[in-house]
Amino acid sequence: MDWHQLWTIATLPDNIPIVAMLFLIPFFSWLGFRQAIANDRLIAQLEADPKLAKTHHRKTWPWQPNWTKELHVWPYLLRIEFLATLIVTIILYVWSITLNAPLEEPSNPNLTMNPSKAPWYFLGLQEMLVYFDPWIAGVVMPTLILIGLMVFPYVDANPLGSGYYTWKQRKIAIGAFLVGFATWVLLIIIGTFMRGPGWVWFWPGQTWDHNTVLYEVNRDLPDLVGITSQPWKGIFGAVVVGLFFALAGFVTHKLIMRKEFDKKILERTTLLQYLIFQFFAITVLWALPIKLLARQLFRIKYVMVTPWFNI
Amino acid sequence: MAENEVSEQLEKKVADAPPPDPIAERSFSLPLVISALLLVVVMVWSMYDEVIGQRPWKAYQKDFVAKYTSYLEKVQAKQGKSERELKASAEYQELEQKYQDEEAKAKPRVAEINARIQKIDVQLADITPQFQDTRAWIAAKTFNLENTPEASRPSLRNAIANKKQEQNNVKIHRDAGQTETKSMNFTELERMYNSLRDEKALLSSEVVEITKPQTEAKKKLDAYTQDNLTGLTTQQIGQLIDKTSKFEFKIKQIHVAEGNLVDRCESCHLGIREPLTITKANMKGEAAFVSHPDKELMTIHDPERFGCSTCHGGNGRATVSVEKGHGRYEHWLWPMYYKENVQAGCNQCHNRDRVTQGATVLNEGKNLFNIRGCTGCHRYEGYDRETDTLSSSRQQVKQLEMEKKEYQLAVEDLKQDRGEDRARRLVPNGANLEINQLLAYVSQTVSTIDARIDELDRQAKYLMQDQKKVGPNLKEIKAKLRKEWIPGWLKDPQAFRPGTKMPSFRLEDDEIEAISAFIWQDALDVRVQTQAQGDAEHGKQLFKTLGCLACHSIKGEAIGMGEGVIGGHFAANLSRLGEKANYDYIVRWVYNPRRRLVPYSPSLKRDITAEDYKKKGLPFNFDEEHSKSPVDGREMQIHNMTVMPNFRLSDSDARDVATFLIAQKKQEPKYPSATFMDDKGLAEKGAKLVKTYGCAGCHEIRGLEDEQRIGTELTPEGSKPIERLDFALLTEPAKKGEDPVTGEEMDSANGRENWYDHKGFFENKLKNPGIYDKGKEKPPEERLKMPNIYLEAQDITALTTFLLGSVESSLPASMRYNPTGQKKNVQDGWWVIQKYNCMGCHNVLVGQDSTLMSVAMYQDADGKEQLPPRLTSEGARVDPTWLMRFLKDPSLSSTNSPADNKDPSVIKAALPGVIAHLTGQASTAAMAAKPAAGTKSATPAPSMMAAKPPTPTSPMMATAAALDPSSLLGTQMGANRNGVRSYLKTRMPTFNFSPNELQALVNFFMGASAQQMPYIPERLDPLTNDEQVIARSIFTSQAAPCLKCHMTGDPAHDAKATAPNFLLARERLKPAWTQRWVVGPELISPGTSMPSGLFERDKEHERWIIKGVNSPNIQVYDKDHANLLVRYMFQITPDEQKRLMASGSSGAAATPAPAAGGAKPGGATKTSAANSSRKGGRLSAMSGGR
Repeated sequence: MDWHQLWTIATLPDNIPIVAMLFLIPFFSWLGFRQAIANDRLIAQLEADPKLAKTHHRKTWPWQPNWTKELHVWPYLLRIEFLATLIVTIILYVWSITLNAPLEEPSNPNLTMNPSKAPWYFLGLQEMLVYFDPWIAGVVMPTLILIGLMVFPYVDANPLGSGYYTWKQRKIAIGAFLVGFATWVLLIIIGTFMRGPGWVWFWPGQTWDHNTVLYEVNRDLPDLVGITSQPWKGIFGAVVVGLFFALAGFVTHKLIMRKEFDKKILERTTLLQYLIFQFFAITVLWALPIKLLARQLFRIKYVMVTPWFNI
Repeated sequence: MAENEVSEQLEKKVADAPPPDPIAERSFSLPLVISALLLVVVMVWSMYDEVIGQRPWKAYQKDFVAKYTSYLEKVQAKQGKSERELKASAEYQELEQKYQDEEAKAKPRVAEINARIQKIDVQLADITPQFQDTRAWIAAKTFNLENTPEASRPSLRNAIANKKQEQNNVKIHRDAGQTETKSMNFTELERMYNSLRDEKALLSSEVVEITKPQTEAKKKLDAYTQDNLTGLTTQQIGQLIDKTSKFEFKIKQIHVAEGNLVDRCESCHLGIREPLTITKANMKGEAAFVSHPDKELMTIHDPERFGCSTCHGGNGRATVSVEKGHGRYEHWLWPMYYKENVQAGCNQCHNRDRVTQGATVLNEGKNLFNIRGCTGCHRYEGYDRETDTLSSSRQQVKQLEMEKKEYQLAVEDLKQDRGEDRARRLVPNGANLEINQLLAYVSQTVSTIDARIDELDRQAKYLMQDQKKVGPNLKEIKAKLRKEWIPGWLKDPQAFRPGTKMPSFRLEDDEIEAISAFIWQDALDVRVQTQAQGDAEHGKQLFKTLGCLACHSIKGEAIGMGEGVIGGHFAANLSRLGEKANYDYIVRWVYNPRRRLVPYSPSLKRDITAEDYKKKGLPFNFDEEHSKSPVDGREMQIHNMTVMPNFRLSDSDARDVATFLIAQKKQEPKYPSATFMDDKGLAEKGAKLVKTYGCAGCHEIRGLEDEQRIGTELTPEGSKPIERLDFALLTEPAKKGEDPVTGEEMDSANGRENWYDHKGFFENKLKNPGIYDKGKEKPPEERLKMPNIYLEAQDITALTTFLLGSVESSLPASMRYNPTGQKKNVQDGWWVIQKYNCMGCHNVLVGQDSTLMSVAMYQDADGKEQLPPRLTSEGARVDPTWLMRFLKDPSLSSTNSPADNKDPSVIKAALPGVIAHLTGQASTAAMAAKPAAGTKSATPAPSMMAAKPPTPTSPMMATAAALDPSSLLGTQMGANRNGVRSYLKTRMPTFNFSPNELQALVNFFMGASAQQMPYIPERLDPLTNDEQVIARSIFTSQAAPCLKCHMTGDPAHDAKATAPNFLLARERLKPAWTQRWVVGPELISPGTSMPSGLFERDKEHERWIIKGVNSPNIQVYDKDHANLLVRYMFQITPDEQKRLMASGSSGAAATPAPAAGGAKPGGATKTSAANSSRKGGRLSAMSGGR
């Protein structure tokens, strides 16, 4: 095991944020869930108590008697924000004193650095290039992700769970977001720690040897089943992609239909909202990890091969 | 948390102790206080970091001020004492007295003038305000006037005129002290103002005039102090202390805009430019504060103009830490050079220099690069440039020939009425031309192309003459070597000849067999004439004394000079020559190493044999005059590509030397039989290997003359990104700071043992060129080919320094060393000087010792007399035209100076050469004659020689007939002759320089001595009869017995002579230099045996007078004696010299001058006897001192 190198990578000033995220994301997820569960318990209490459950409102809001009904922004919100400001300032101070900007030598047009990596926040995008064609990975997918994030409020028919931490009332939304976010962070982590010279996969602790020679053949799915000529490759791919959409849509639907609560929400959702949600869930949340697995486990390069684009 | 309008409905009190509101009820005081405190702490930390943490140089500066002040005080105290002592000395007192006297003398008048000037100043101050005010008003109005239309001008003119007439009341101080008020108009004011100022200027200049002696005396006084006091005066040190006490704490920065350079090195290295020499000890062990070790270098390369990091490397901008500043971190591409490689920095700008003065390590690196044959495989701009130029000119010729063909076809077409399309296509605007115009144009082009090819061919001839290879010509090995010796040599050259240039290629046994088979079968089937044995003892003497040791080394025992290896390392160690070589070949080689057995034609790409000549009905004769191929008329390579010069030995001497050399053996050679070398199949395999290993880089090999270099170009090697240096499997361990070979942790604390940087790469590669194959699975032909070169540690350092310095500089051309004129000539000349190892025999640079100087036999006084001359002032000494002639033929045998005829030994030695020349055609043909068919034994039997030596035809030949067959060795022009100093046993050999190199050398010597080119000889006045008589008497006087040491052409005399013949002077020397030389030779060439002090200075008449010659007509002669002597020397004729010799031998009394004849003979003899004994003493003292 090459701990020396792992340490070098982990301590690069460039990689500080992603290393921090390794710890911060689980921590804040835990913190959020702890609060959500406490609130869920309160809600359950409220719902169980007929005295308290007189109104619709009481059923759904985590609340305890004796709690102030209304709080002013000043000082209650602002003092928390002020505290946060102080802490962030302290962190930034310490950070800037202890770590200098990771400047490197002047760029040399005759020499491409290897591995040549994007800044950490773009590493997920760069990693996606392994799985999709550049214009899909670099243009279509990011656009879909952004639009998907923007669309969220408009496809949300759930009147509950806004303004406080809760899991029970927002399982689908929180779950979908967490899957997407975790995938994204995972891609960044792969890009940072697993990709060495030549963008070759190295497990943490393996030496990033520039001389590494690999034998790896990636094949298209149609080739695997013996379809080698156009247009059959394209047609076969389209069929597979269609099947995938159907299957993924079905699974998503099943997941939504698992709980009574979610079923009720679904009843409030219009068809358009539902379809839009399904589209983004399939193309962004399902397609990416499945293509990743197909590539890493089965060495499948493309599923659908057409003369114009490949998926 | 719940701020919603519906939350109001949630008013419900729970009876049993409800939990308080988690937000409203919670106190944030503690986290706030803690955060606030932390923030304060962090801010304080950031201030600290800003002021101190990021500015470590401040601590250095504080430290420096303390240490430097205390050091200066110590020095001042010490210096004060020695200064007091100095001031107590008589000379100082005298000078000071003089100064004070002068001061006193000047004082009254100076005081007077000063008083007057004071008064003038007062009066000037009185009138100046009014005057200037008015003048300003007038000037402004005049400007208005000039920019006004003509109509309104008169009024302005009036106004100005009025202003000028306006009376002003001015209060003026009178001399006595009282004031008076005067009314003056502008004109009067102006007059007074000007006159006062004029008077003041006059008085001021008078003061300067009066105090001149005083100032001079002061200057003398200061100069005396400066000269006699080591270091600075107390006053100067005081100033330094003062400066240090006012030290300004800030970043000290050099900014060179031209080079985009910002160097802040001096923020910490504060002592670098101090005038004192500061050592680490002076600074209490702080190495950062020492002064620059080479102050002279700093004056040439002023840091204000060149900065620091240009030469030293490192990140001059960085100020945050030592590592950053020194650039010793991953991302700085130009880390500071380590001490041992510091001269790498010179090469960035001095990359075109072959020799950079003062950069000994770098020069050594460049030297090694050349003589070890690195250029055979690696291209490097400037090295082996003949080969590069040749190949490009051959390319050009090829193109021209193609063009020519096209035009020739067009001519044919036109002539034979086959159409004119081709011609019209070739000729610009051809469509509009008449047929005969076309024909004229096309045929003219053909001849133009021919002329250009001829021109290129002639340049090619010179280039081929200068083209050298590091290793011997392998085409001739059948004549030269023992066949069985070759495989063993290939296996381990170092074992046979330690220190040899031939590297070891890490060959497998089967590869060795294949290569030996190939080179043996590939060699030309030629044998050389069998030679009779010579006299080894005489050969040994010749080897010792001719100057062979300047380049070659040999076991000390072999030449009776004790233990160890003696001689230079420029060429081979000859200690075991007898075990490998064939005697007959060595004779021929020693006789004339440049002469090939068979010429090579680059245009035909084959060797031109006797057959080819025969077919054309020509004798097999090729030399400088017959250098064109008989087949296609193009230039051939007629020289062996060796730098070994021709020593112009007579054939018997050549045999003697060869006999001596061939006797040099460590043991009787016993080699395993090598029958495999005749295996044709092996040879085929060998041919491939020879190409793979690039043998043709250093050796001439038949069929591989046009092989390209196999190695990587090294010109920009030092600036190659580290990623491009292939550490192969050692990359990762090397990066980690482990020793990839042993796996041990490296001592990276001081950074010296780094593997993963340029220095580490070069050093390890040079130490073990195959190292980066470690752990690799490769078939032999894919392994690294660079052979083991056996370098000493300091050689590796030198080469590493050179390679580190081989960078693509980012500096602008204006900052780099791009000399013009004389300096350029010197720069270019060094390439030739080094190529032929001139410094093996001569001192070319002041302070540089030749190889011969370190040889034991040249250590004592007599030995020193025998050393080749110093060339440090050669350019000033000799006429460039003469020098060119001399370098072309150092025997000067083509110059028919009368001295030749008088020297029977010269004639005797030269004659066999002449005869050989006459019979040369027959002999050369015989020499290269093919051996009897089918014989392939390693040592050619005498019976193989086909041709019989020609019968001696002259009595002179008959005397040499004992050494028959002499003439077969070919022509030897100027045999056994030193052109200038035939008294020397060392001999200036013939180098066969091409005109290009001759010119470069002459330019070098002229440039090195700052001589103007072209040289126009000074016209000397002819001597009058009187002058002739006087000069003659000086020449023969016992005080300056010139002919005692200088050669005269009389062999009996010349055997003892230690200086050149005067007859050469006119053509050879420059009069101006000669005069300086006769007056003070010791100044020009310290240690020379030419006596100094022959003349004394007659200050009154600004001339030199000969010392110790009392002849009356000399005393009457009122011009410069030295000049007279020089003029006499430059106009001396052989007859005159004969006369002088005759008179010289009959004693001073018999001087031909009538006046001298009238002198008292007794007295003259007496003085001369006394003089000569004195002279003798001085002479021996001189030679002892050399």
